[in-house]
Formats: sequence, C-alpha cells, structure tokens
Amino acid sequence: MTRLATRLARLAPVLLGAGFLSAGPLLAASEGGGGGLPQLDATTFPSQIFWLIVSFFLLYRLLKTKAIPRIADILETRQDRIGADLDRAAKLRADAEAALKKHDAVIAEAQAKAQKRLREAQERVAAELARHQAELDADVARRLKDAEQRIAAAKNAALGEVATVAAEVVQAAARRLAGLEIGPEEARAAVARVVSAGGR
Amino acid sequence: MADPLHQFQIQRLVPIQIGGLDLSFTNSALWMLIAVGCAYWLLIAGTRQHALVPGRLQSVVELAYEFVAGLVRDNAGKEGLRYFPLVFTLFLFILMGNMLGMLPLPFGFTFTSHIIVTFTLAMGVFIGVTVLGFVLHGAHFLTFFVPHGAPKAMLPLLVPIEVLSYCVRPISLSVRLFCNMMAGHTMMKVFAGFIVTLFSYWAVPAIAPLAVTVALTGFEFAVAFLQAYIFTVLTCIYLHDAIHMH
Repeated sequence: MTRLATRLARLAPVLLGAGFLSAGPLLAASEGGGGGLPQLDATTFPSQIFWLIVSFFLLYRLLKTKAIPRIADILETRQDRIGADLDRAAKLRADAEAALKKHDAVIAEAQAKAQKRLREAQERVAAELARHQAELDADVARRLKDAEQRIAAAKNAALGEVATVAAEVVQAAARRLAGLEIGPEEARAAVARVVSAGGR
Repeated sequence: MADPLHQFQIQRLVPIQIGGLDLSFTNSALWMLIAVGCAYWLLIAGTRQHALVPGRLQSVVELAYEFVAGLVRDNAGKEGLRYFPLVFTLFLFILMGNMLGMLPLPFGFTFTSHIIVTFTLAMGVFIGVTVLGFVLHGAHFLTFFVPHGAPKAMLPLLVPIEVLSYCVRPISLSVRLFCNMMAGHTMMKVFAGFIVTLFSYWAVPAIAPLAVTVALTGFEFAVAFLQAYIFTVLTCIYLHDAIHMH
C-alpha cells in the first residue's frame, strides 16, 4: 500500500508538469500575438539541443581528460602521504612499545636482584642471630651447671659438716650427761642412725 | 511593468542554418559555453597549486569532487564510480547553469529554465541508464519491472505501474528542474516589478516587495544548488537500478 503511495507521489511532479505544459498555450493565447512562454517556442529547440550537446560533451571531455585526473592525483597523493605517515607512526609506536618492554624487563630484573640480596642479607643476619643465641644458651647452660655443681658440693660439704658437728655434740653430750667416752666413729654411726630414722 | 517572462526569451546572436535546421548560436548557447568555461576554470585554477594542504579554491574543488563521488558511491555503489566523470559533468553543468542564472546581468540567462534543455539532459540520463541496464543484464533487466514478493494476483496491476513510473522518470526529472528554475526566476521578476510599480506611487510600502525579493534571492540560491543536487542524486539512483536492479 505504501509502495503504491510512493509511486503515486512520484507521479505528482509529472502531473504538475503536464498541467504547466497545458497551461502554456493558454498563457500564449491570453497574451495574444507576440508573447507566449518562450520555453514552448519549438523553433528554438534544435539550436538549444545542438548547443547543449556540444557544450555538455565539451565539458565532459575537458573534465575526463584534464580536470578529474588532476583532482584524483591530488587526492591520491594526499592519501599516500597520510598512509605513509600512518605507517611511520605505527612503526614508531611499535619501537616505543619495544623500548618500554625492555625498560620494564630491566626494572623487573633489578628488582629481583635487589630482593634476592635483601633475602640473602636477612638470612645471614638470622643465621648469625641463631648462632649467637645458641652460643649464649650454651654458655648459660654451662654456667648453670657449674653453679649447680658448686651448690651441690657446698650442700654435701655442709651436710658432712652437720654430721660431724652432730657427732661431736653426741660425744660431748654423752660425756657430760653419762660420763661415757664415745669414739668419733660410734658417734657418727649413731647420728646417721637417728637421721635415717628421723627422715622416715 | 516589465514582462517577467522576458528573461526566458531566446535571442539569436549568430544565425546558423544547417540543412534546414536552425542551429543559431543563441544567448542560451552562450551561457552554456560560459558555464563550461567557469566549471573548467574553477577545477583547473583550484588544482593549480597541487597543495598537500588545500587552500580555499582547492578546498572548493576537492569538496565538489568528493561530494559527487560520495553521492555516486552511496547511491550507485562502487561499480557506479565508473560513470563518475559523467555524473560529475552533469552536476557541474547544471549547478553552473543555475548559479550563473542568478547573476543580475541585463543579458543574463538561465538555460536550465528551458524545458527542452532539462528534458534533453533527462532523456540522455534515461536512455543511457536503460541501455546500460540491458547491456549489463540482457533480457533479465525486464524483471526489474516485477516487484519482489508481490502476490501473483497483483502483478497485472503492479507491472504496468512499474513500467509507467519508469518511463515517466525523464519527465519528472526534467520538469522538476525546469519548473523550479522557471517559477523561482519568474517570482523574483514579478516581485522586483512590484517594487518599481509601487515606488512610483508611494515610496515607503515598496519596502515590502523589496524584502520579499531579497528573501527570494537567497531562496533561489538554495534552490539552484538543491535542484542540481537532486538531479544528480536521482541520476545516481537510476544508475543503481541499472547496475544492481532493486
């Protein structure tokens, strides 16, 4: 339906033209004698068609052989130039990207190296620290052991002393109280007997 | 009041008779040759510099070239570019004819305001395109008149409409250009005549037809370009039909 409508719409100028053309003779008649629409004077048609064809094909020849090649040449030259510039820009860009990549690689390498060194240093310090710690621990342990041995020795000595003093006390007591003369061995055995019994 | 149709009068400048035909060199022929000269001068002067970055005149030339090349490419496709020189010639010739007709000269003349000129151009396009269609597609070109996907029952109605609308193309093409140029120029003359007539009676209101004439002049320049453009676009569309069919 719309197709039909467009077809009819296309016919509109034709109808208009037909009306115009049919109005021409009327116009001519109304002016009477001399006038009329000059466009409808058929005696001018051969000359107009002739000169139209001559001038149109003159222009066509001139454009085709001279003007259009010149313009096309200009546009082509510019296109080539732009294309070449774009190519060069692309190449420069690729170069820049390669340089950037190389730069990144160098930086990454340097960073890796630095980190490695840092790690090594940390490990060395840690090892040193551990060694020092171990030495210190060993020293402390040794001193502790010495001290314990010394304390044990002192304690044993003190205990021995106590036994001797007790035996002497027993001798003295036996002499004073009972008038008995007890030998040191006997007194010591008696003390030991009492201590072991008391310790129970 | 001056006859507004006087401007369309053909004047024989150099009478020439060949074989009983009157091929006189007229004011119409003179302006056609002036149009050819102007178009050619514009293109040659514009490309003289051969500049990489175009100047003003070269820009005009390149714009015109790419404008028409774009029209051909968009409407007739890449294959249509083979006929670009012809379309470019057509565009420049009509544009120059319309624009030169706007020059306010006592012997000024607009050859595109003559139906025989526009009709000859349109017939040239019509015959050329039809011959091209048959050369490219042979008898198959006749199927152009059978619309795709139309119901069979409608064909007896649609095919005659298609044929009619096809055959009417040169008429619509030529009458459109002719009517526009003639009507516009006549209107300008009529209103310009009003200025003189009114001024001789009473000066102040004559400003009204003057304003109208100024507006019409601007309008006519737009029409002069637009009609050249429309003629070219339709030529491209007809080319497309001949090359691709629908």
